[in-house]
Amino acid sequence: MKAGFPVLLTLVLSSGAAALAYGTEGFHAVTSEGARALAVERTPRPVPDVALTDQDGRAFSLGDYRGGAVLVDFIYTRCPTICTANGGDFERVLARLERRQARGRIDLVSISFDPQNDDREALKRYGNRFGAQAPRWRIAAPVDGRGLAALLKTFGVVVIPDGFGGFVHNAAVYAVDAHGRLVRILDPDATEQIMAAAEQAATP
Amino acid sequence: MTMEVTAGRVALNARAAVLAYLAVSGIVLLLMMLLGLTMRLAQAQWIDVEPDFFYVVMTMHGAGMVGIAGLSGAAVMWHFVRRHVPVSTAVFLVNLVFFLIGAVLILGAGFIGGFGAGWTFLFPLPAHSGELWSANAAAAYLVGLMIIGVGFLLLHLDIARGILSVYGGLGAALGVKQAFGLAPEKGGPPPAVAASTMVLIVNILGIALGAAVLVVSLVNLYVPSFTFNALAAKNMIYFFGHVFINATIYMAVIAVYEILPVYTHRPWKANRAFYFAWVLSTAMVLTVYTHHLLMDFAMPAWALVAGQIISWLSGLPVLLVTAFGTLANVYRSGLRWNLAAALVFVGVAGWAIGVIPAIADGTIAVNSVMHNTQWVPGHFHTYLLLGMVAMMLGFTAYLTRPQPRYGLGWIGFWLYVGGGTLFVLAFLLAGSESVPRRYAVHVASWLPYDRVGSVGAALAVTGVLILIARFFAGVRTAAQAEDPA
Amino acid sequence: MNGRPGTIRSLLALGLLALLWPSPLRHLLERDMAVHMIVQLPLLACGGFLLGSALRAHEPRWLAEADWLGLPGLLLVIFTTSFWMLPRMLDAALADPAIDGVKFLSVASFAGLPLALSWRRMPALGRAFLWANFIPKLGAIGGLYLAAPIRLCAYYRLDQQAAAGWTLIAVAVALAMAWFVIAFVGVPMSQAPAQSCRAGNEAA
Repeated sequence: MKAGFPVLLTLVLSSGAAALAYGTEGFHAVTSEGARALAVERTPRPVPDVALTDQDGRAFSLGDYRGGAVLVDFIYTRCPTICTANGGDFERVLARLERRQARGRIDLVSISFDPQNDDREALKRYGNRFGAQAPRWRIAAPVDGRGLAALLKTFGVVVIPDGFGGFVHNAAVYAVDAHGRLVRILDPDATEQIMAAAEQAATP
Repeated sequence: MTMEVTAGRVALNARAAVLAYLAVSGIVLLLMMLLGLTMRLAQAQWIDVEPDFFYVVMTMHGAGMVGIAGLSGAAVMWHFVRRHVPVSTAVFLVNLVFFLIGAVLILGAGFIGGFGAGWTFLFPLPAHSGELWSANAAAAYLVGLMIIGVGFLLLHLDIARGILSVYGGLGAALGVKQAFGLAPEKGGPPPAVAASTMVLIVNILGIALGAAVLVVSLVNLYVPSFTFNALAAKNMIYFFGHVFINATIYMAVIAVYEILPVYTHRPWKANRAFYFAWVLSTAMVLTVYTHHLLMDFAMPAWALVAGQIISWLSGLPVLLVTAFGTLANVYRSGLRWNLAAALVFVGVAGWAIGVIPAIADGTIAVNSVMHNTQWVPGHFHTYLLLGMVAMMLGFTAYLTRPQPRYGLGWIGFWLYVGGGTLFVLAFLLAGSESVPRRYAVHVASWLPYDRVGSVGAALAVTGVLILIARFFAGVRTAAQAEDPA
Repeated sequence: MNGRPGTIRSLLALGLLALLWPSPLRHLLERDMAVHMIVQLPLLACGGFLLGSALRAHEPRWLAEADWLGLPGLLLVIFTTSFWMLPRMLDAALADPAIDGVKFLSVASFAGLPLALSWRRMPALGRAFLWANFIPKLGAIGGLYLAAPIRLCAYYRLDQQAAAGWTLIAVAVALAMAWFVIAFVGVPMSQAPAQSCRAGNEAA
């Protein structure tokens, strides 16, 4: 054993531990989902003002919601699995919002990442399935591909083909606060946490 | 001259290391027996123990006993196998150090952290404590086991390395050619080598799978979204657990092969049947664990049927060659009984008798009504307390002062054998009356068994206390002495 | 360790690494989770290993001395491979070609290369210990992938994840069986273990 050994060992151990700590957000996350949720919580990121159209054909953008909170999820209307579940999750949130009395607006937006197939009709049908009505709950699609790409990038949504003509995507509920910043990424079926995060985001 | 001195020093260290193993094993054995006595007294309603604490005690008793069975078995195996192959004393001592570190973590997990999920840490129980223990307590237990596993793995790999350096392959060291008549019996490996090889094969595989399931359990503890197939985990845990505890008797039995011939003045003959038995048992020990899962309806039926059949057969080959070998070795040998010979003889008897209830319980039809009764602790206490522990105590007597014709040692011997028998009979009888195992609180009609069992346990603890005290009294001289030959 | 085998090995290594360089074959090797983990990463390490074994003769003396029993080097291998097997890093390598480039360089130079240099310095007992830990952990990771109800990587489908799990288990079983058979039958290593045993004692 030479004098160099402890030096080399320390170097390897410290850089290895540092790399793993970096790769897991300080040993808190091993998946990109978990890491993203943590990163957003630590440093909220501004949401781009992308042009969207809703189920009634009205143009709007996420910037219009400033001053109140908006909960966002990403869907495609042909989706037979998680989007349906997501719809149900938002339906539950909607029911809670209707009974809500506190100050500060909270609205819902479901954004389709499949604008080719999701025309106004399709968006409308999806909305009717869950009792979504603008402006409380808009079902929307981006006007152009650049806007869609910008949204997916900011929100960290990854869409891959499922091998059967549909898509697989990470399902989450995204809370955007009164300053137009993405502040929390939440588990779609954790209604209580979603409500709590929305209340917090709604207070300017 | 220098060479001799060095060799002498090394030999002394090795002997001291074996004695250190036995000293640790002896102390832990006594403490764990006291925990066992506590459980029996609590069930007998002679003392008050909170049920939560009962399960802590049960977990510690199980982990501790399995631990020292492994530790003292390893001491027997290492002591005798190093007469034939080169092994490292440093690695042997590293295992002891790892064992002590792991033991501290496990005891902390239990007595400070309140961990009481049973020594088998069945997935995902450690993560679902119902607020009785924290994730950190469960982790301390799992990490403690893992550290002990690392030590044992290193020791086994080192012995395997030594065996390979002499015999070239594990097959040759097991005597596969001799078993199938492809080579003359005479040139076969000595019994200690064949037995050690079997233990190495099964234990390295067992520890490896055990380590894997420990990692999975730890991940699940801190990242609950990472789950694991619970049935696969149970298979892995029982593969590891069964192999490890089963291997302890196969390590300890080396003491029989090596100690009896010293006093009977007849060598232990390793014949074709002997090698064949060890080869057969190697394969069966690896496949027999499914008899722990006979009540898991989700298991494939073929695995359970195989488990049932192999359970009937698994222990038998080595047991039969050992039991017949023992009788043949002793019969008309003019053996003058001393403690060492008597204890290893009792060990073979306890092992043979202890297997019988296991064969009954290995039958699916019996298992479905008997497995959760005290029949099963009855089986494994016969097998371990009167089998494995007897061989280990015989080994301690062999290394210290085996010769007394009369005296305290024999009182200890009879207290241990008599008390132990009473204690296991209470379990077996209660089991046949369907008294459940692992119940902290017993109803009135079960109390007679519990009380008889408590008396037996108290006597056995006293006996073992005397035998261990005797070992400690002789340990200094033993460190300087040489093995009786 | 003379010139020619060294040259051939360097050429082989460089050829392999050039082939794997993250442009042409990248998508082929990363499209599937199992291939990404069990073909691409090991091949990268293999390239580094060949390079390392070719450069062995030129290893600086101080490094050979400081790398006592190969411990620092093999720790570096473990850290590097663990880092790139984090589900999050598999995702990141897919999402960003720059990160894929970092992966390429670091797996070759911090996993493959030190393996070639340090493995021979590790005594036989240590090597056996590493094998005995590596094989079951590989299987355990496979089991975790199989049982995970969520997608660990945003870029891979659940069925790809399960396939990766099965593949890892199959590799672990195959390695264990190979290891067992070798030890049982005994390859012509009747002298080899004794030698490395002696080397180990000397090193200690």
